[in-house]
Amino acid sequence: MDAAIALERVSKRFALAGSAEGVLALTDLTLSIAAGEFVAILGPSGCGKSTLLRLVASLEAPTEGQVRVNGDMPGLVSARHALGVAFQDHALLPWLSVRDNIALPFRIAGRGVDDAAIARLIDLVGLKGFEAARPKQLSGGMRQRVSIARALVLEPEVLLLDEPFGALDAVTRRQMNVELQRIWSARRITTLLITHSVDEALFLADRVVVMSGRPGRILREVTVPFARPRDPTVMRTEDFHRLVDDLTAALDSNASASAEAPHR
Amino acid sequence: MNALRTTALGTLGIALFLLAWEVVGRSGLLGISWPALSDVLAMLLDPARLPMFRRALGATLESTAWGYLWGAGVGLVLAAATHLLPPLRPGADRLAAVVNSVPSIALGPIFLVLLSREATPAAVSSIHVFFIVFVSVSSGLQRASMAHRDLFSALGAGRTVRLARLELPAALPALASGLRLAWPAALIGAIIGEWFGAPRGIGILIINAMQNFQIVLLWCAVLLAVASSLFFYGLLTLIERAAYARFG
Repeated sequence: MDAAIALERVSKRFALAGSAEGVLALTDLTLSIAAGEFVAILGPSGCGKSTLLRLVASLEAPTEGQVRVNGDMPGLVSARHALGVAFQDHALLPWLSVRDNIALPFRIAGRGVDDAAIARLIDLVGLKGFEAARPKQLSGGMRQRVSIARALVLEPEVLLLDEPFGALDAVTRRQMNVELQRIWSARRITTLLITHSVDEALFLADRVVVMSGRPGRILREVTVPFARPRDPTVMRTEDFHRLVDDLTAALDSNASASAEAPHR
Repeated sequence: MNALRTTALGTLGIALFLLAWEVVGRSGLLGISWPALSDVLAMLLDPARLPMFRRALGATLESTAWGYLWGAGVGLVLAAATHLLPPLRPGADRLAAVVNSVPSIALGPIFLVLLSREATPAAVSSIHVFFIVFVSVSSGLQRASMAHRDLFSALGAGRTVRLARLELPAALPALASGLRLAWPAALIGAIIGEWFGAPRGIGILIINAMQNFQIVLLWCAVLLAVASSLFFYGLLTLIERAAYARFG
């Protein structure tokens, strides 16, 4: 199997004070992402989709089953500095400039800072002229651009995006989706995107995976038929709307089922 | 506007306090042990006594500075070491607590025997500073956010890289707060240390004035100690603000 990201029969149980069995966040989940593929995970909040990403990012270990990135345990991939991550919280270091924040992965990896690569990325994410600015001086959208540039700077084997635009307003979010599509098309890195926005998933991904409420399982997989590069106008086509309705209905049907579940 | 008001009210408050000091002293309301401010200032600025005050303040500030540097350095290194080697933590915490709970007045004679009369003020001072800096840096090193920790983990950061690039910078505001609070403690430590027989210093001035019932001189020494303490405290507050603005 030559999947870039492979989850095989993965379950994840979290300990919970006062509960012997804890909380089952994911159960018997199998997912395979091919090299160069962009997969979006859609699900109601609390369905364990962030847990799924954290397993791939080496931030959690599965209770059962196994997670592999290019055939290796995620911890090994992280140790060879080959994971690119961006979270909803941009996690930029407030005391570093834009340029130094993007250079951080080089410094963590103990490699020489490639100034030319950083300059190209700053250009790619549209932050030319803001190299010396601090995160505090940037808008929310600009901070996420920096965060994505930082995720890409080491040319990672996989790119893991956990609701990177979740905290942005609707207009900025749509702009950032268009931007991310353009940036991704230039690099074509295997990408796992966690989102609760159906539009975002359909516009960006090659394949959309819908998860059920807790414990998280895969309910549906949809291959997105739109050719790349995608123009924002694709979001106004009938096919797009039909898919949005379709996936929204799938989300709604299982959101009502999971509404009873306690919050973690 | 608000800042202006705060400053104006603060200035007014200080002026009223100094005025009350003068009035109480002049009227003799609290007896001869409360001299008027003007008498104290007159002695403090008396050209004949100036070299004595300068020598005393210089000696005390030198001891304070050495104690401050040593205490802060050891506190910082020990906090970083226990952070890198978590098994050391409970022991180091307890050691710091024990060291802090021993009254410095009891430590003085020990330092006097172990070190010298000259080094005792700095040693007592360093003990005070050590505890404050150790505690503030220890808690400061925990301040990095969960998102930052996750980022460093996913990027494959080792312990030392994480300490140098994330946890220490994130701890700088807490360190700056600790350093601000540590200065007055350092000064008190130096003055107490001087009581065990230092050749000169504010502490010696206080003891001599007290034993010879030179009330005005005693107040001069206390005023010098307070003024120098406030000066450095203010300076360190500015540094702390800068640290919060940049690293907070």
